[in-house]
Amino acid sequence: MTYEWQFSPVFRYADMLWQGVLGTLMLTGVALLLALPLGLVLALLRLGKVPVLGRMAVIYIEFFRLSAAIVLLYWFYFAFPVLFDITLDPFGAAVLAIGLQAAAFYAEVFRAGLQSVAQGQWEAARAIGMTRAEALRSIILPQALRNTLPVFLARLVDLIKTSALAATIAYPDVVYAAMRVASQTYRPIETFTVLGAGFFIVIFCLSQASRRLEGRLAVGRRI
Amino acid sequence: MSYAWDFSFLPNYGGVLLKALGATFKLAVICLAAGLVLGCGFAAARTSKYIIPRLLAGAYVELFRNLPAIVLLFWFFYTIPLVTGIGNDRFVTAAIAFSLYSGAYFTEIIRSGIEAVDPGQWQAARALGFKPVALFRDIILPQAIKKMIPALANESIEVVKLTTVAATVAYPELLYTAKLLSDTEYRPVEAYTTVAGVLLIILLPMTLLLFRLERGMRRSG
Repeated sequence: MTYEWQFSPVFRYADMLWQGVLGTLMLTGVALLLALPLGLVLALLRLGKVPVLGRMAVIYIEFFRLSAAIVLLYWFYFAFPVLFDITLDPFGAAVLAIGLQAAAFYAEVFRAGLQSVAQGQWEAARAIGMTRAEALRSIILPQALRNTLPVFLARLVDLIKTSALAATIAYPDVVYAAMRVASQTYRPIETFTVLGAGFFIVIFCLSQASRRLEGRLAVGRRI
Repeated sequence: MSYAWDFSFLPNYGGVLLKALGATFKLAVICLAAGLVLGCGFAAARTSKYIIPRLLAGAYVELFRNLPAIVLLFWFFYTIPLVTGIGNDRFVTAAIAFSLYSGAYFTEIIRSGIEAVDPGQWQAARALGFKPVALFRDIILPQAIKKMIPALANESIEVVKLTTVAATVAYPELLYTAKLLSDTEYRPVEAYTTVAGVLLIILLPMTLLLFRLERGMRRSG
């Protein structure tokens, strides 16, 4: 192979790439803000005592878990605005598609966390006179969240990986920025190598953190 | 909701949609097969008693699991022509990128399946005089496969979902075809909803099968 690697043209456009990083962070952050509360509500409905609501939560969760993220992106960007006669920019469509799907994944994370707290904790909280809401907030959730931290991070990794797809509906994230840099420098291989290295560093660190936490929690549980 | 749905254009594109379905199917099957082969090979390397294959397989898994599939796809899209010297085939690009990506996941599934088998089984088989190959084939593998089936089924669903990303390099699978239909007929709602529905119809039986497998596993311990 005689290819001559030249990274300097790519680094000349570093500003553009950093701008894209901001776009990715913004999308991931806002999608997370939508997904976490919605996921918690879905988990509570699924574990709750009302069968109809529980069933609906299951259908929501399974539908979004089963859908391909990029199909959702395309649907929310191209079909949704026409269907409801509204205008939606790529950011809005991406937040809806990615956030609504992440809610389904986080619902399962919360459900596993809530179920990991021993039943006795509920009973003890009720016995000392707490209402169900109080028990949930100050007794159950803190323990549930601690137990779910590793899986929470694993899902965050998935969310970041999914957010990379938003470039396909022209949302200016880091992949979209890389596409522009590649076409301006005529150096696509170097550009996407840099992009890949960046993603790898971030995702690898988060995955490792998730694995470490998991090991530590497993030790705590054994004691 | 005032939108007037109109699917009347769909029958005209029956052949196109069928072709797209075939393209999705072809990519999914190839990626599944190649991913499984890669998974078996790298899982064997990861559980090897020598350090070099273990390190190489570990590096492979970490590299491909920690990158977004679309970044891999774009990278191979530009790099493959460089290595082969010929223009790039969209199917080959997608097949290589997604096989390597899912292969990393398959490696971990197969590895943890093998490691989940009680060490006593290895010892007992060795004590009975089993040779290494027969030991692995007749004693360990059947138990390991039973443990990994739900995860393998789940990953197969992920592979089918993953094939839609190939639309970004214009591989004419279902999603890309939906875009073409939507652009020619100005009917994005119907085109994308149809394709989303077709994908769900493919994936739903797979999920139901997965649920049944998981329930069966729990019952048999």
